[in-house]
Amino acid sequence: MIKRFFNALNRPLGRVGVLIVLLALLSGAVWGIAQTQTTPQQPIDFPHNIHVGVLKIPCLYCHPGALRGPSPGLPTITKCWGCHQQLAITKTSPKLVPLVQAVQNNTPLQWVPVMWVPDFVHFVHRPHIAAGLNCETCHGDVSKMTVYQTPQVINMGWCLNCHRAKTENNAQNNPTNDPAVAANLAEERIKLTDCSTCHY
Amino acid sequence: MSDKISRRDFLKLAGVGAATTAVLTGCGPAARYITREPYTKMPEYTYNGLSTYYATTCRECSAGCGLVVRTYQGRALKVEGNPNNPVNQGKTCARGQATLEGLYNPQRVRGPIQHSRGQSLYDSNNQNVESNMSWDDAILVVADALSKNQPNEIAFLMGMAPDHLFDLVTDLTKAVGAPAPVRFGALGMFEARTTLMQAANDLLGQSGLPFFDMGSADMVFSFGANFLETWLSPVAQTREYSQLRRANPLKRGYFVQFEARMSQTGAKADEWIPIAPGTEGSVALALGRLMVEAGGATLPTVYANVDVNSIATAAGITLDTLKRLANMFAGANHPLAVPGGAALGQSNGLKTAEAVLTLNALVKNIGKDGGLFLSPLAPLADEYHRPASMKEMIDFVAQLQSGSIKVLFVHGVNPLFELPMSLGLMDALKNVPQIISFATFPDETATQADYIFPDRHVLESWGYQKIATGASSSTLSGAQPVVSGVYSVNGAQPQIFYDARATADVLLAAAEKAGGALASALKFKDELEYIQNQLNGLLSATDGFFSAAEINTFTAYFQQNGGWWKLGDDRVVPSGSDVLNNNLDLSPAQFIGDGDFFFVPFVAPVMAEAGANKPWLQEIPDPTTTVVWNTWVEINPATASKLGLDNDDVVLILSDAGAVEASVYKYPAIRPDTIAMPFGQGHTAYGQFAQGRGVNPADLLSNAVNEAGDLAFGSMKVRVQKTGKKRQLSRLESILGVYENFGQQQ
Repeated sequence: MIKRFFNALNRPLGRVGVLIVLLALLSGAVWGIAQTQTTPQQPIDFPHNIHVGVLKIPCLYCHPGALRGPSPGLPTITKCWGCHQQLAITKTSPKLVPLVQAVQNNTPLQWVPVMWVPDFVHFVHRPHIAAGLNCETCHGDVSKMTVYQTPQVINMGWCLNCHRAKTENNAQNNPTNDPAVAANLAEERIKLTDCSTCHY
Repeated sequence: MSDKISRRDFLKLAGVGAATTAVLTGCGPAARYITREPYTKMPEYTYNGLSTYYATTCRECSAGCGLVVRTYQGRALKVEGNPNNPVNQGKTCARGQATLEGLYNPQRVRGPIQHSRGQSLYDSNNQNVESNMSWDDAILVVADALSKNQPNEIAFLMGMAPDHLFDLVTDLTKAVGAPAPVRFGALGMFEARTTLMQAANDLLGQSGLPFFDMGSADMVFSFGANFLETWLSPVAQTREYSQLRRANPLKRGYFVQFEARMSQTGAKADEWIPIAPGTEGSVALALGRLMVEAGGATLPTVYANVDVNSIATAAGITLDTLKRLANMFAGANHPLAVPGGAALGQSNGLKTAEAVLTLNALVKNIGKDGGLFLSPLAPLADEYHRPASMKEMIDFVAQLQSGSIKVLFVHGVNPLFELPMSLGLMDALKNVPQIISFATFPDETATQADYIFPDRHVLESWGYQKIATGASSSTLSGAQPVVSGVYSVNGAQPQIFYDARATADVLLAAAEKAGGALASALKFKDELEYIQNQLNGLLSATDGFFSAAEINTFTAYFQQNGGWWKLGDDRVVPSGSDVLNNNLDLSPAQFIGDGDFFFVPFVAPVMAEAGANKPWLQEIPDPTTTVVWNTWVEINPATASKLGLDNDDVVLILSDAGAVEASVYKYPAIRPDTIAMPFGQGHTAYGQFAQGRGVNPADLLSNAVNEAGDLAFGSMKVRVQKTGKKRQLSRLESILGVYENFGQQQ
């Protein structure tokens, strides 16, 4: 079998065939990666711009878990309904029909994750908030978005760039060039660039 | 190309394969296409991906250890000890851990049921009987029972724990003028709690449950006290025991156990002294006399008539050993003598307890570090209400038998299993027109009830429990629901799977329906309001570890911390001045029956009286024999070979009260004239894991009581008959056993 395969490689047609297969695999992979970076269809075209931009609702009101643990969480329909039951638009807007139906049937809205990390990455929101990062630092200016979109490609390089930048001994991180601060930064850098900090 | 793949081709092929794998796995994991379903209604205090922890109180026995239960997405997952609770200080026992298997037990009663007596609450396929009435109807039934019967025709039988429900029922019975609720439990029966309290009261002139400060002692003589197993407050005592062994780095505390059959506690002792059952008191007296004689002092009244030689002979112990032990006890800095259930469950149990407690007075350790105290009284308690003694239970059963009780409420206890069969409770129940059980599980008593109105499991319940002993500070342990219930999640709307309701809520609602004095005495919206009303009494207290200005804040702290306790040492120091001048008239123990063997029933250390429906507990090997899922008879190998018995031979044990069959376990750590059986199996109901497994040694017990009214469960003499059958016990250790040739070597 393998011998025949290698024999086929000696013929031009065989090589073209292999090339086609490889190209198909490659394009499939590219498509898959592209899918991970495009904005998916959501059950409701949720207008973040109105909620955050106009109404000035803090992020943590709907995603309180970010302050406490790994996952920020998605708002429950009861949380949506707390405000929406008092709004006339809830009954008239066709865009809100899925919410009304979900509340009537007591079924959860099935949101599709937009910003996510692979399963082998252990991401926890809490230390990032505790380190003083604002939500928009990573998630972009949500007040200008309708359906949420990732502002950048999420990959390891992007994580590490920030972990490195935050621990570099430079004028921003250590304005007085204090050796104690420098030593601390060096230690932080070891921790923040260690594989097991983010990977299981 | 050759026929074989060249090295170069192989590497090419491998390279292509590796590249393809790398590219394909990079295509984004499936997680990308999974949608997320948030809660429709987020439970309070819940965060995605994080566990929520609730403090509550264990109810597997009446010790009242504090628990912290980990919950995740509305399910209770793991039980740990509450590190702040003064009783267990963060530790739990196996029974506490297995609480979860009660919560999720497949045979929990599904809802309020009206049923005909004797009919099983689950079928042969272990499918539970469905609820056949509404809770509103159930409340009407209770209201009618309370209002349509004369006060003296109403009886409440409850479990051992002095909890909020006991307080509520006490208030209820007071309001209608009914007799006070009777509390009972097999653990109290086997630890002879009444005898212990009576002896302390007689000797020290002060009532209360004794507290043994083992942690600060350096020499402990235990007379049949299985304090590491089920006695009084086992987790607290296990901590004290570990302190005994390691508190002083220079001197490991010494521990001697006197008992005919080596218990799990005895197995931990430095010396196990197998004295004859019923001689514990006289051995204590002999030790006392020897100590006084060795010290050269004049003999106090209590030891004046003690004949050491004859005691040594009767107990089966040498005089030298007695002298050595007496010297050791007298020479210790903090010696402590502890009388336990196996010694007190004899016809002379009260005097035995007094004899052992007198040893403490002799070494002057009463109220001292490492000595004898009385347990602190719990907050909200005017006195310690002990569970009923066997004498009181016999009277209670007689009352039921006479037909003067028209309605019997049963909660938290399974008397048909826990009481000896010879009391005739089964017959007596036939004369009670209405029996209402609040059992969570379909136990024997619930099976004989007309109605079963299941209480919620402890992990779903509010409450508090007054701590009887185990903590050196006055403690009220708090309980709260850690989950709102067990739900089935087929479909969008979760359905409550076990439609249980708190008994306190049922009684309060029934009181309202009944009207009259009852309704005005119990004007509480629900159980929680009643508990808050009780806790009101603690608001003004300043000596607790927290205080609050008003009751809602207090209740919140109470739940968050798992209770309220005082900061100081509240153990009561009894006077005990004139103890040695009593004339202790200890008569020899009386035995019932003409059998050849003393019979020692003991509570199975892991499973205890109500653990048989939890597979975790069934599966844990018994600490001394490693037997699981069954009942065995412990027989000394020498005796066994004399009777022609081997391991797993089925024998018939006959006493004057009854007979049971069980397989033999050759146990070298038991006197040749004694046999022993564990209590905890032998259920005829109680769910698929418990029913039809092993036998109940309580069937062999008569209703003879000691002077204090506790059951003399050690007073039976039994016969052993070979049946010729063999039934193999399932056990962890090799069937050949580490002791296989033990009998021959002796």
